[in-house]
Amino acid sequence: MIEMNRRQALVAIGAFAALAACGSGDDKKKSDDFSANRDGAMPDYGPGKQFKAAAPLTFTMLYNNHPFYPIKNDWLFWSELTKRTGVTIQPNVVPLSDYEEKRSLIIGAGDAPMIIPKTYPAQETAFVASGAILPVSDYIDLMPNFKDRVAKWNLQPDLDTLRQEDGRFYLLPGLHQDFWVDYSLAVRKDVLDKLGLQIPGTWDELRTVMKALKEEYPDSYPLSDRWGQLETGANLFNIIGTSYGAPGGWGYGDGTKWDATAGKFAFTGAMEGYKQMLQYLHTLAEEKLLDPESFTQSDEQAIQKLVSGKSFMISSNAQTLVNEYRPPLSKANPKAELVKIPVPIGPLGPIKYGNGNTRLENGVMISKKARDSKNFVAMMQFIDWLWYSDEGQLFAKWGVEGVTYTKDASGRFKLTDDVDFVGLNPKAPKHLQKDFGFSNGVFAYGGSTEILQSTFSEEEIAFQKVMNARNPVQVPPPHPLSDEEREQATLWQAPLKDHVAQNSLKFVLGKRDFGEWDAYVAELDGKNMSAYVNLVNGAYERYKKAHG
Amino acid sequence: MVTVDRSKGHRAFRWVNAVILTGVVIVTLYPFVNIVARSFSDEFAIRSGQVSIFPRGFTISTYQYVISDATFWTNYRNTVVYTVVATAISMVLTTCYAYVLSKRHLRGRRLLIGIAVFTMFFSGGLIPNYVLVTSLGLKDSIWAIVLPNAISVFNLLVMKTFFEGLPVELEEAAAIDGLSTYGILLRIVLPLSKAVLATMVLFYAVSFWNSWFTAFLYMSQNDLFPVTVFLRNLIAGATSGSSVGADAADLTVATNIKSVTMVLTVLPILAVYPFVQRYFVSGVMLGAVKG
Repeated sequence: MIEMNRRQALVAIGAFAALAACGSGDDKKKSDDFSANRDGAMPDYGPGKQFKAAAPLTFTMLYNNHPFYPIKNDWLFWSELTKRTGVTIQPNVVPLSDYEEKRSLIIGAGDAPMIIPKTYPAQETAFVASGAILPVSDYIDLMPNFKDRVAKWNLQPDLDTLRQEDGRFYLLPGLHQDFWVDYSLAVRKDVLDKLGLQIPGTWDELRTVMKALKEEYPDSYPLSDRWGQLETGANLFNIIGTSYGAPGGWGYGDGTKWDATAGKFAFTGAMEGYKQMLQYLHTLAEEKLLDPESFTQSDEQAIQKLVSGKSFMISSNAQTLVNEYRPPLSKANPKAELVKIPVPIGPLGPIKYGNGNTRLENGVMISKKARDSKNFVAMMQFIDWLWYSDEGQLFAKWGVEGVTYTKDASGRFKLTDDVDFVGLNPKAPKHLQKDFGFSNGVFAYGGSTEILQSTFSEEEIAFQKVMNARNPVQVPPPHPLSDEEREQATLWQAPLKDHVAQNSLKFVLGKRDFGEWDAYVAELDGKNMSAYVNLVNGAYERYKKAHG
Repeated sequence: MVTVDRSKGHRAFRWVNAVILTGVVIVTLYPFVNIVARSFSDEFAIRSGQVSIFPRGFTISTYQYVISDATFWTNYRNTVVYTVVATAISMVLTTCYAYVLSKRHLRGRRLLIGIAVFTMFFSGGLIPNYVLVTSLGLKDSIWAIVLPNAISVFNLLVMKTFFEGLPVELEEAAAIDGLSTYGILLRIVLPLSKAVLATMVLFYAVSFWNSWFTAFLYMSQNDLFPVTVFLRNLIAGATSGSSVGADAADLTVATNIKSVTMVLTVLPILAVYPFVQRYFVSGVMLGAVKG
């Protein structure tokens, strides 16, 4: 049986997409002529208005099927959505495990549904050249809620990061009102209390606390981390690096970082801040405060060490804290108290940040062929209502008032007694996601801080309050690469990233001396670092000239 | 049987052999035993790393949970249906093709073999295949799974070699006694080929049971997927880097649920093996020795 592996498949898709691009002639249609596309649309649709199609409509959509709440046709979400909007969604179900592969294939084969959600910023660039995806920036006027939010929340710079070489963007991203920092460190507060230690507020204080812990428990490593098997230094390199102005790990991105003072992009792995971050971690490792296995062990091993008291700190987000750490920890040690601390502060001072320093989330692509549908305007209004209006987001997240949730006089949301979600009602027989289809990652994300935090616990809201009070990092300016440049950049990025990751570990674990830093930077240059950064800066300059 | 004198070297070899092979058995068996143990353990014991060969915190509630999942059973039924239908179609087509190819006097035989072998080395590629199947209207139907890969060239060649090994005189005798070509195939050749048929059924059944990619490509509804897609989503979906790194609201599926699903998925095909085993070795060997 012939089974293609992933890489072969992607190469094939890429080749095909390139071919398709050559063939597609530019059948330019005036983007603001909608006379033939208004069937079912509302003439007076606007912010705060409930979208309701004039006639029953059906839209095809790619659906990312989450294993935790597999799709069911009898979900209240579907029937209520049709009742409210007159729209029926016809999902093309794709398992989450291979969503991206199927998305590429189906777009490449010209068989894509109209609505293609769950696409992360930058993933859409691969499809731009094929001409199969609609440049949605031309049609924003059809989406009053989207426009309203961009203006109200001052998201224009964030949106600009999505722009391609032609000055347009092809993805309708999820929009957050504020930065949402979720990942930090979880710390054993009971142990700190016992030793009379305060929750550390800065990275230096963290080191002091760790030293005290090490003195008291010499056999332990105060910090033993997880997620190292997914990405080198996944969370630590990201949160510490960000405080030093050079995020690694999950924050590494394309490997360049906007340097606001110099007014140009720099290569993250060679920045001074990156070096300082590694030096800080190296100190921790040298003083045996950081478990050297942090970067290689499995998540299970890391959690075991935490549970058995061999470590006292671990990377965490709000979910892992509640779902993965606390239950086994309280079983092993009922007195243990684990808390997620606000991200410690570094040389850049108190900052908040998001993915790529924007407040954008994954979002929706639209098939080019949808533009020719007679229901195109209605579809854009529908998308605008469901993904970008307060009512639509409330519906997608919490469901139907009186059935799945209630709202008290103070405006606080509460699940009805027989519905559970993120452990809020653990004994309830039904589940908001599994049995009703709400809070579904395909439809419910982003939005106002109020709606985002409506499912948060008290302690998480307190954490968010601290983080929200900090200063945002400047959004990097757009620097779209041309097709050939992107191909070239892809060839350079992978070896650079590997080299940075490998040597970051060597520096941290003391296998390479920091005296060799210049040699390391020279090695990066041998792997085309300068050429790559010049390419990015060139694209930035070019875009600035062409589009202001 | 007379006991043969065994030299020292021979005995030493047998010992070393036994030790190495036992090691191989342990290494291959351990992951599976571990999965079975996990499937009977509670989540806490797994998370804290206590489970190796024996279950800790014994529970069957995970099984009850998975068994009560309607989607799991729908997909499970699909797997059974797809496997049975696909194996049946494949067997009929492969047998006919192989029997024809085994006749040396057939004109154009080399061309027919060439056509089959060609597909071993070259394929149209993913997207053209997808476009073809889609425009034939096979998408979202069982035919998209059972037709495109109906003949495995490897199996075809094994079978052809086996048929070539049957004595020609037998068939000539049958023909003189008045049997038609089809009669010869059905009443003489096939009854003599049970070993290779059983082997081929096993090969096909296992590969269809395990396959997920075709279904993933051509099915767009949850209740059309085979259980392998369900399982893959459960395992790969919930542990993929992007879902952990980027989307904290995504919940992971408990490890013991994954283990139970794996055990239930592997079980039937595992149960078939002992019954086909006795044909298995002879079947493959018969085809293989004659080149």
